[in-house]
This record gives sequence, C-alpha cells and structure tokens, in this order.
Amino acid sequence: MQSEAVLLPEALQPPTLFEGPVTLGSLDDQVLQYPARKPPAAWYLAFAFTFTLMTLGFSFIGYTFYMGIGVWGNTSPVFWAFDIINFVFWVGIGHAGTLISAILLLFRSRWRNAIARFAEAMTIFAVMCAAIFPLIHVGRPWVTFWLFPYPNQRGLWTNFRSPLIWDVFAVSTYFSVSLMFWYLGLVPDLASLRDRTKSGIRRFFYTVFSLGWRGAASHWQHYERAYLLLAGLATGLVLSVHSVVSFDFAVSLVPGWHMTIFPPYFVTGAIFAGFAMVVMVLVVVRETMDLKNLITAYHLDVMNKIILAMSCLMGYAYLMEGFTAWYSMDQYLHHIFMQYISGTYGWAGWLTISCNVLIPQLLWSRRIRRSYVGMLFVSLAVTVGMWLERFVIIVVSLHQDYLPSSWHIYKPTLVDFGILFGTFGLFFTLVLLFARVLPVIATSEMKVILPGAQPAHAGGRHE
Amino acid sequence: MRMMNPIDTAPAGISRRRFLALLGASAAFASGVTACSKIDRGTIVPYTRKPLGVVPGIADHYASTFQEGMTAYSVLVKTREGRPIHIEGNDEHPHFRGKTSLRTIADILRLYDPDRLRQPLVDRQPVSWEQAEAKVLAALKGARNAGKPVILFTGAVLSPTRRALIGDFKRVLPGLVHVPFEPLAPHAERAAAMAAFGEAVSPRYRFDRAAVVVSFDNDFLGTDPNAPIAVREFAAWRRVSGPHDSMNRLWVFEGGMTVTGAKADHRFAIRPSCAAAVAFALARTLSERHGVALPSGLKPETLAAFDLDKQAGELLISAALLHALAADLARAGRTALVLAGPSASVETHIAAHLLNTMLGAEGQTVETAFTPGPVDVCTFEDLRKHVTDMKSARYHAALFWDVNPAYFCPDRALWTAAVAAVPRKVFIGLHPDETARECQIVLPEHHWLEAWGDYEASADLLSLQQPTIGPLYDTKQGEDLLLDLMRALGGAAPADYHEYLKARWQKEVFPAGSLVPFEAFWSAALHDGILRRPAQPRSPRTLQAAAIEQAVTKAATPTTKGFELLVQPGVGVYDGRYANSGWLQELPDPVTRVTWLNPLAVSPADAQRLNLTDGDVVQVEVGGRRIEIPVLVQPGQARGVVSAALGYGRDALSVAQGVGVNLYPLLDETSTASNLRVGAALIATGKRVRLPLAQTHQTMEGRDIIRSWTLAEYGKHRREESDLPTLYPEQRFPEHKWGMAIDLSTCVGCGGCVIACQSENNVPTVGPEQVLKGREMHWIRIDRYYEGDAEAPRVLHQPMLCQQCDNAPCENVCPVNATTHSADGLNQMAYNRCVGTRYCANNCPFKVRRFNFLDFTGATPDAMRLAYNPEVTVRPRGVMEKCTFCVQRIEDFRLRAKAEARPIRDGEIIPACAAACPAEAIVFGDLKDPNSAVSRLSRSQRGYHVLAELGIRPSVTYLAGVTNPAGDGGRHAV
Repeated sequence: MQSEAVLLPEALQPPTLFEGPVTLGSLDDQVLQYPARKPPAAWYLAFAFTFTLMTLGFSFIGYTFYMGIGVWGNTSPVFWAFDIINFVFWVGIGHAGTLISAILLLFRSRWRNAIARFAEAMTIFAVMCAAIFPLIHVGRPWVTFWLFPYPNQRGLWTNFRSPLIWDVFAVSTYFSVSLMFWYLGLVPDLASLRDRTKSGIRRFFYTVFSLGWRGAASHWQHYERAYLLLAGLATGLVLSVHSVVSFDFAVSLVPGWHMTIFPPYFVTGAIFAGFAMVVMVLVVVRETMDLKNLITAYHLDVMNKIILAMSCLMGYAYLMEGFTAWYSMDQYLHHIFMQYISGTYGWAGWLTISCNVLIPQLLWSRRIRRSYVGMLFVSLAVTVGMWLERFVIIVVSLHQDYLPSSWHIYKPTLVDFGILFGTFGLFFTLVLLFARVLPVIATSEMKVILPGAQPAHAGGRHE
Repeated sequence: MRMMNPIDTAPAGISRRRFLALLGASAAFASGVTACSKIDRGTIVPYTRKPLGVVPGIADHYASTFQEGMTAYSVLVKTREGRPIHIEGNDEHPHFRGKTSLRTIADILRLYDPDRLRQPLVDRQPVSWEQAEAKVLAALKGARNAGKPVILFTGAVLSPTRRALIGDFKRVLPGLVHVPFEPLAPHAERAAAMAAFGEAVSPRYRFDRAAVVVSFDNDFLGTDPNAPIAVREFAAWRRVSGPHDSMNRLWVFEGGMTVTGAKADHRFAIRPSCAAAVAFALARTLSERHGVALPSGLKPETLAAFDLDKQAGELLISAALLHALAADLARAGRTALVLAGPSASVETHIAAHLLNTMLGAEGQTVETAFTPGPVDVCTFEDLRKHVTDMKSARYHAALFWDVNPAYFCPDRALWTAAVAAVPRKVFIGLHPDETARECQIVLPEHHWLEAWGDYEASADLLSLQQPTIGPLYDTKQGEDLLLDLMRALGGAAPADYHEYLKARWQKEVFPAGSLVPFEAFWSAALHDGILRRPAQPRSPRTLQAAAIEQAVTKAATPTTKGFELLVQPGVGVYDGRYANSGWLQELPDPVTRVTWLNPLAVSPADAQRLNLTDGDVVQVEVGGRRIEIPVLVQPGQARGVVSAALGYGRDALSVAQGVGVNLYPLLDETSTASNLRVGAALIATGKRVRLPLAQTHQTMEGRDIIRSWTLAEYGKHRREESDLPTLYPEQRFPEHKWGMAIDLSTCVGCGGCVIACQSENNVPTVGPEQVLKGREMHWIRIDRYYEGDAEAPRVLHQPMLCQQCDNAPCENVCPVNATTHSADGLNQMAYNRCVGTRYCANNCPFKVRRFNFLDFTGATPDAMRLAYNPEVTVRPRGVMEKCTFCVQRIEDFRLRAKAEARPIRDGEIIPACAAACPAEAIVFGDLKDPNSAVSRLSRSQRGYHVLAELGIRPSVTYLAGVTNPAGDGGRHAV
C-alpha cells in the first residue's frame, strides 16, 4: 500500500519560492537590515572600482564634447557604431525588469515577488545608461534639446516621422513609467524603514519618501489599483519600446536593417539580454547579502529557462534572417548577410551565434541551470553575445552598403571603449548604491506569498 | 601687426598638415599657427562712398593668366569686395573656351597660403625692401667689378615681356647666365622634333579632327597641361545620341594606368621602351599592307627589323588587334592622330612623327601653324652642368627666381656642394621652400593674382595677366625688383613693371596705324584677357629621313632587364610646386584614389611574384640611387613597369613637409626622357604603411552602378521608363525643378569638378589621418571602379554627388527637420538646425553626405579663410553637409531674373562642377522645361538613375558610357 504523501515528480511539485522558515518578522529583519547597517569592505572595494570606471567614462564623454565625434571610430559609411550599439544594448537590458515586474504581475505569477524590485531597479539604471547615448552621440550636444518638441517662437517642431523622435518618446516614457512603478512599489517598504530606523536623518528622508503610508486598508486599495495600472502601462512598454528602438533600423533603407522581423527580434533579444544581466546580478546579490532563502535556486532555474527559451527564439530569428536574405533575391541584402558570417567581421557573426544560440543550450541541463559557474558562464556569454549582435547589425550592415565606393572598415577607438565601460561603471555604481540604501527585495510583495499570507478556507487554498 | 618669422611658421613639432587632424575646439587652441597670421578681423564697416563699379554682394570678374610650366591658362578671376575667391576659365580663349585645369582652379589657395613669405629677409631677419635690395645690389656690383658671372635660375619664361626684361637685365649685368628650368618640360618631345623636323616646336593636337587617336604613353586627357582643350574636343566625339552616331576610336599603349588609358577603346599595357618598336612596326604594316607611302628619302629596308606579329608575340598582345589598328589608321588617313607622351623615349616620338607624316595627319590633326616658338628650357643634363659649374666656384652670386632647384636637382650631394660654393645667394619667390632655406637674401614675390604679365599662348594669341587684389603682404613683383636693380646698376628702366609692360605693348603689340588710342586698346585687352592678332602661319614641317634611321637603330634593341620606372607628374602637385596645397594633396588621384601620398604602382602579376600587397614599402634602386616607397597594386599596370608620381617628399612648408616620397633623385640626368628609367630593381623592405585611400573597394560587385556599352550594344538597349510605385504623395514643383545630367561617356574622371566644388563651397580638407578613417569632405567625388581581368581591366569613372532625390530617404529620418525638400526640387540642408545625429547619412544610399566629425573648418588658418566664398555658409563641427547644386548660384540668378522681370534662361545657372568640367559632362538645368538641355539629356536612351530600384527618384540622370571597340572589342594586356 502506498504512503499517504505522494511523491510528485519535480515538475509537478510546488515551486520552492523560499527556503527554511520565513515569517513576516524574519523577512523584515533579513531584508531591511541592509539600509541600516554599514556595508562590508567588499562593497567599498567594488564601489571604488565601478565609480572609477564611471568617472573615466564621463571624462571620455567630456573629451568627446570638447573635440567632436571624430575621436570615436565613426566614419563614412559607418556613421553609427558604439554609440548606438551601446544605446540599444542598455535599453534591451532594461526589458527584463519590466517583464518581471509588470507582465508577470498581470499573470499573477508568484515567483516574481522576490526579484521584481531588483529587476525593476536594474531597468531604471539600464535606461539611464541608455539615455546617455542619444544625448552624447550627436555632433552638437549643446543643442540636443532640439530633439524634444517644445513650443518656440520660431514655430519649429521636430520631425515626427523620424524614428529617432519616436525613440525620444519611447525611452522617456519607459523611464518615467518605470520610475513611477518602481517608486510606488517602494512606498510600503520605505514606510517599514521609517518605522524601524533609529537615525534621525534617515527617518526624515524615509518619512518624506514614504508619503505618509500607514498601511491602512484604503492605502492598500489605492496602492493595488495604482500598481496594477502602472503594470498595465509598463506591459505595453516592454513590447513597444524596443520595437520603436528597432525602427531606427527597420525604417531605414540600409540593407540588413530594412526587415520587418526587427521589432519582435529586438524585443526577444532585449528580454534575453535583460534576463542574463538579472541572473548575473542576482547571483552576486543572493550570495553577498545572504538572501539564498528568499532568492532561491528555483528563481534562478526559472530565469535560466526563460533565457533558454529566448535563445531558441533568437536562433529562429537568425535563421529567418538567413532565409530572408536568400529568399528576397535582393543582392544587397544577400551581400550583407554573407558579411555577417564571413569577411572582416565574420568572426563577430559567428561569435554572436555561439554566444546567443549555442552556449545557452547548455541550460537544457538542470545541473547547469542550478550551478553558479554554469549560469554565470552562460549569462556572461549572452551579455557579450547580445552586445556583439548589435555590433553586427549596425556596423556590418553599414560598412558595406549600396555603392562599393563608399565601403570602409570600422575601427573603434579607445574613447569608444572607455565610454562603453564607463556606462558599465555607472550601472554597477547605481546597483551598489541601490543595494546599500534601499531594500533589494519588496518585502510587501514577499509577504503576500509567505505561508499563511493568503486567507484560506478549510481544505482549499487560494494562491 | 607682429609677423612671426615665416620660415619657422610651423609650431614646434606639429606640421600644419598633421594639425588638421589634431584640431582643437577652436582655432585658438593651436596658438602657434593662428597667432602668426594676425589678419585684423576688425569691424565690418559698409562703404559710405562706394568705389566706382563695386557693388558689395555682386562679384566682379577679372581676366588674367596663370602660368604653369610650359603652359599659360587664360582665366577669369571672381572677386568679391576686392578679394579673389574663385578661378574659372576665360571663355574668350578660342581653344580653352572657358575651361581650365584643376590646378589653376586650386591656385586660389596659394594666394592665401599662410606659409607665404611676407617680408624680405636677410639672414633670416626681417628687413625693409631698401635694405634687402641694397644687399642684392652689393652682391651684383661685386660680381660685376670682379668680372665674375652671376647665375640666374628661373622657370620657363613664357612671357615675351619678361624675356625682354631679362634681356635688358643682361645688358647691365654682362656675364649673367640665365638657366630656365622646368622639371616637367617635354624634353624628349623637343629633342625628337629637333631631330625629325629641325625645329623644336610643340604642336597643337586637333582632337576635334581626329577620328582615330593612338597614344603612346601620352596622358592627353589627364596630366597633360592642355588636357582641358583635349578633353573638350575628344568628348565631342563621345557624346553620342544614337547608336548610329559616329565616334572616334582611342588606342592607348601605356606602361602605367592613366585616365587616358581608362577611356581607351583598346588599351595595351606594354613597357614604354618597347613602344617605339610597335610604332615602327605599324609604319611598316601601313606601308606594306595598306599602301600608305613612306616619306621621301626613307628606304623601306629601314623598317625591316620590325614586324607587327612578332611584336604582338613578344609583348603578349593580340596581333589581330594590332592589325585592326593598322587598318583603322589606314582608313583614317588625315583624320588619324598618333602621339607620344612626355615620358616616352625620343625614338617613340620620332616613330609617331613618322606615322603622322605617312598618314597625312601632319598639318591636319598635328598643327604647328600658329604654335609659339620653342621656349628656352634646360634639360636635366644642362641643369647638372650648370650646378657643376656652380660647384667649381665659377659664380659670384646666384639668383633663384620662382624656381626650386634645391628640390628638383636629382643629385642632392652635388647641389649642396654647389650651393655652398656660391658666396651670395638670392631667392625671389612665394614660399620659404628648400631653395629659399639656402639663400641669405630671401625676397618675397607677388602671387600671380597680385601681379602684371603677358603670355604668348600661340603666335596669334596673346594673353594678359593683371592684379586682382592689392598685395596682401610686403611683397614685390619679381620684375619690379629686376627693374630696381637695373636702375641701380646704371640701366634705364621705367618706374615699375606695369609701365614696362605697357610700353612694350605699345611698341610691339599695338598695331601700327590703329585708329583706336592705345589706352582704349590696352583696356580692351585687359578686359578680355585675350588679344588675337594676325600672324603668319608657320610653314609645314618636313620629316628628315636620317632621324628615322637613327631612331630605328635604338628602337630595335629595347632593354628588358629589371623594371622600367615611369615617373609621372602628380595630378594635383604637378612637379611639387603645389605640394603645400591641402586641396591638391587631398584630391584623390583619378586612377589610384590615393590622397596625400604617391605610391608605386605595381602590376598584379609582379606584386604576386614579389609577394607585395598595398602598403608594403619597397626600395627602388636605379642609376646608383635608391628611394623607399610604398606599393599599390595597380590593375592594368604593364608587367615589368612600375610608376609613381613626382612632386612629393618635399622638405619644407607646413603642409608639404614629409608628405609622400621624393622621386627626383631617380630621374635620369643623362637622357632627355628623364622620366623613364630602365633597369630598376625592387627590393622589399618588410615595412608597411597605410595608404590614405579615398576609396577602399574597387569593384562594383555586379551592381548596376555604372553602365558602359559598346556602340554595337547601344542599339540593343531600351530605356526602362517606369518609376516604382510610391506611398508618398507626388512631389509638386510649381515653377522649376532643378536636375542634372551627367554623361559618363564624356567624363574622363579628371577631378576638376571636385576642386571647383571645394573652391566654390568652402569645403574643408581633413588631412591624411582623417582620410584613412574615411572622413574626407568632398561634396562631389569621382568613383572609380575596375571591371574584369586585373591585368586588363575596364576602368569606369562616375562623378557622385547628392542626387537631390524627390523621395529623399535622408529627409524622413532627420529628427529635427534639418533636411527638407524645396519647392524647386532641391534637398535642402539647414546647417544651423542640424544637431548631428547622422541618421540622414546612414539612410543615404549614395553616401554623399559628409559629416564634420571634428572642427575641420576651425583648423583652417586665418589667411586661408580669405579664400572662402562669402555666399556659402561655413559649417561648424557636428554638422552634416552635402552638395546643394550650388544653391547660391541658383538663388543669385533667380533673383537677377526676378529683378529683370524675365524667366531664367536655360544654361544661365551653372554650378561650379559643371562650369569646371572640360568635357561638359555635367549639365544642369530645369527639368520642368521640356526644351532645356538637361531635360533632353534626361530623356536620352542612354539615361538611367543609379539605384533606381530603391524608388527614391534621384534628380540626377546618368548617361551610360559608350565605347567604340573595333570588331570584337575588349581590352588586351601584356
């Protein structure tokens, strides 16, 4: 006779969203301790490093303002290079956060609660890094504000047909909605911090930023409604922002850019790259901040599965590009595709495919999905691969376009790399600051999924 | 106004050329260069009393003449507010007809060259003119008293008045030895003419009468000084409007690849030393198989050693084609034209004379009736003799007037010793060049735009040179200086050269018994710039058989060991005198597309054999001297022949310094054909440099960009009429729609349009480092593609400029509306609105948009800003620019027509490129007017749009090139 407790196969077992005993109180203590205490030496070391990188990056940007775009490697015909590659890269990284926070909220998934806050913070930081590039990549940065449609006595408006203006709207909308969404989610936690803190100054800031939150039922009602609304807005943005960014390319007539697959292709790629970055950062966070019981192996497992799924979609997209190049009978597109996989930059094409399609296939293995080395290796490969993919799309398509007389090889300069690494410095500086100052896990959301959180009738459970 | 010592102009360690690449955010950043050119910007003050005839904002044109080497170009100088800003050809000239060479157009920059000498210097210290002249006088008097001769080096003296002046000067300074020297004078041609006809007259080639042209290394469409005339006349034969039009046929034998070879219907890449044998073989075939009579006195046996089939076999070219050539020549008779080039051997020239005489072309297509008499010029051999005399301390003083023998002299060691042996050295010229450096007394001269002069263009044509601007600096016209010295030495001389010139004209040119007073005659001549006068035609030349016999002996034994080195004039820098011009250095060579460098062209077969690729540095050794030079693998180059351009590797002046390789040491001082060396050795050095190429990909990859048909194929092509459907509403152009037609059949790719556009539109130069990064700023460029076999390619040129597309892809994507479409069909560029996102450039499939990546205009020295056209905005850093169809000229004439209440006439508005094109290949006009020239050409059967399949509707129609091969057609090589 079988025992009463049926041993379900792993796939059917309920997800381990937290490990060990976690109570409302222990959760608060565990997560909210960090804003109150001094960070370890490792944090200072990391911060010094990222801050230096960031400062270096900004100095290179200053140098670019002083001398001109000519200090980069941009040339004719490769008028866009690292500047737009980095822009698209960072906007893409942001998408994972919004997907986790917003879309998964609408799907009522429960595993998102532990990581939504951090992911959304990463989105904001990524969009900040991205927003640098439209501002600095122009030849005359002191008049970049002309890209915004402000009323003026000359009656001049921006060109609303230009994808760059759509970018301006998309990215600023994305930033503002994400910021509001993230801030709204922070309010109950800031209130908790306000109630717990002993420092006078901190209490002042927490009081101001928690907007008088008392945890009343009416507050919660307003909060839930607003949160849902913003999640709905942000959901659309996940799909639209990177589609709009892809229009920068798809709307042009450059061979290799002018393809209808670009919007879904870019969105997929964005989610792909974003999740890889989230995985990498969360691995570090759960280890250094001792949050393994809240950000469990299950979370990492699920995210890796998403990465794997996206990788397969990317593989499909690459195949479609090849097929389209052949099927189109367009000699220019055909030539560009051949340049993706051979020629001066053929190595980038192959490296992209390896990093984005081949290496992530390792994630089919459960062991690798749950091993730090495995998932870090894959995520790093994906990050590099996605950056390279933008490089291939932008630089390789541009460097050999319609008239062979204008073909030219592109070579990045030290300043290009300096600014790129500078944005990484900025991103991780902001991440470190966030981890130091604010609760990295949304305690209010976590408490919803703790045992006993949901009122249950006898014998049944509402999840 | 504090003047820095101009000889030390460049700031420490930074040459101006390299500075163009370094660039600060403002010109003031590089204090050294700009501080020395303190042109007082001052305040703009309008005239309160307007000078007569000057209307601010309206340009005045003055006729003048520009001398380069052995040629005088008649020009019109466009001035604004008393400042020359643009040079065009003088349409009064019956041969040039308003066209001129690109170096003439570019010379406007030399007037404003910041490196110009600005005041007299003695031992590098600035002095006044009185002091300087006193010193010179002391030297000359010392020479006269000691009874020692003085040597005077000048360039070729084409001016009859200057020649008279030197003659007068000789009278007060007996023992003056005058050495007129031009490195690129056609010595071989003159020697051959002397031997063959007894007189060294340079003929005028009548391409308008030539139905069959055969060129032996004669780049008459390219580097030849009379190319503007040749191109115009030649192009008239190529401007076919139907498949049954008659065309001329061009056969080219050459060692290197030139634009003439590119235009050839048949091209044979052969070693220049073998050319004479081929020519003599042709003569023999003509005489034996086509019944063309040999000249009297020439025995048929003389040519027995030459056989056309044997030649074809030895040179690995098609015998059938050579026979077709002979047949062509026989058919053409008097309408044939055989010419040999300046680097061809004397024997080749004589063979060409033989052919021309046999065919009856002598006197028809080869005209000597009115060409000017031979001008005295020394060969390299003569130069060496004189320099050796200098070394033996024969001369008490040396005067160098507008010539640079320190750079030209092939034997540096000899020169240095010679110069050291002359106690007093005086330099008269524009720049502190290599020769000036060695002179104690340096006297700055007027630029020709500031000076008076006259030229004998041909026996029946005189041209005048007049100042178009007061002297910019404390300079003096060289002739004025000579007059001062003459007076001080006791001779009689008028106050200045202007008086001297007028006096001579009154005496010798002014027709006796004329009813018109001299002043009116003089003013009219100055106004026109050209004076035609009746002249006696020279009697026709007769060929001396003895010369042929001598030439035949030499031609029968060509040398085949080692490489043959062909040294050609630099397309931009010529013999080196223009090496300091950024425009000319950055002008891509029409064939190699290299800028800022003179690479050694090597044939693909040789390059493969020696394992050389583009940029490998090789050592070339010939005649006991060697140089190191980077290689460029040149499709179509003859095997065993290497060629490079002269005029580089200079050792002075901020832009010229160190650019390229100096080839003068390799010139042959023992022969009249100094530019051709045989027996050169090539050794790889293992070093590499990067070639600043304006075009890094040389083939069309099977794309329909340039169409070129044979005359036979022409009949088979139908014009595809349909425009692709578009979602955009049709553009409406109520009054005018400006368009262009560019005829690829007549365009030779010379590059005149590029320089004219740069001059007209204030296009900056960027320097070699930026060209390496692909950032050259030319608004119009001449793309050059190779097609077919690397050893015998088809070479196709195409001027590419903004196509002013109706559905311009650039307009949609500009985020700030900086580029819009005008109601008259132009794609407008609003510089002050451009933020520089560069999306428009990405979306332009023609890549004709140029971006100011760095502060290129800011790096322009103050002096050079005077050359700016005030009607065209100067663009700052971060702004996109492109061709505007010379909108400033369109607006100018539109307003004039409006003021005069009349419509704009067809042909009234001529953009700078169209005005400069000697082939008239670029035609501009109103496409809305069905009768305009551009409309008719755009409807031509040959017409097509580049990248028409994109549906962007360019306003520029290209007319397919048409070639005229004989029978089976094609190209043949060694």
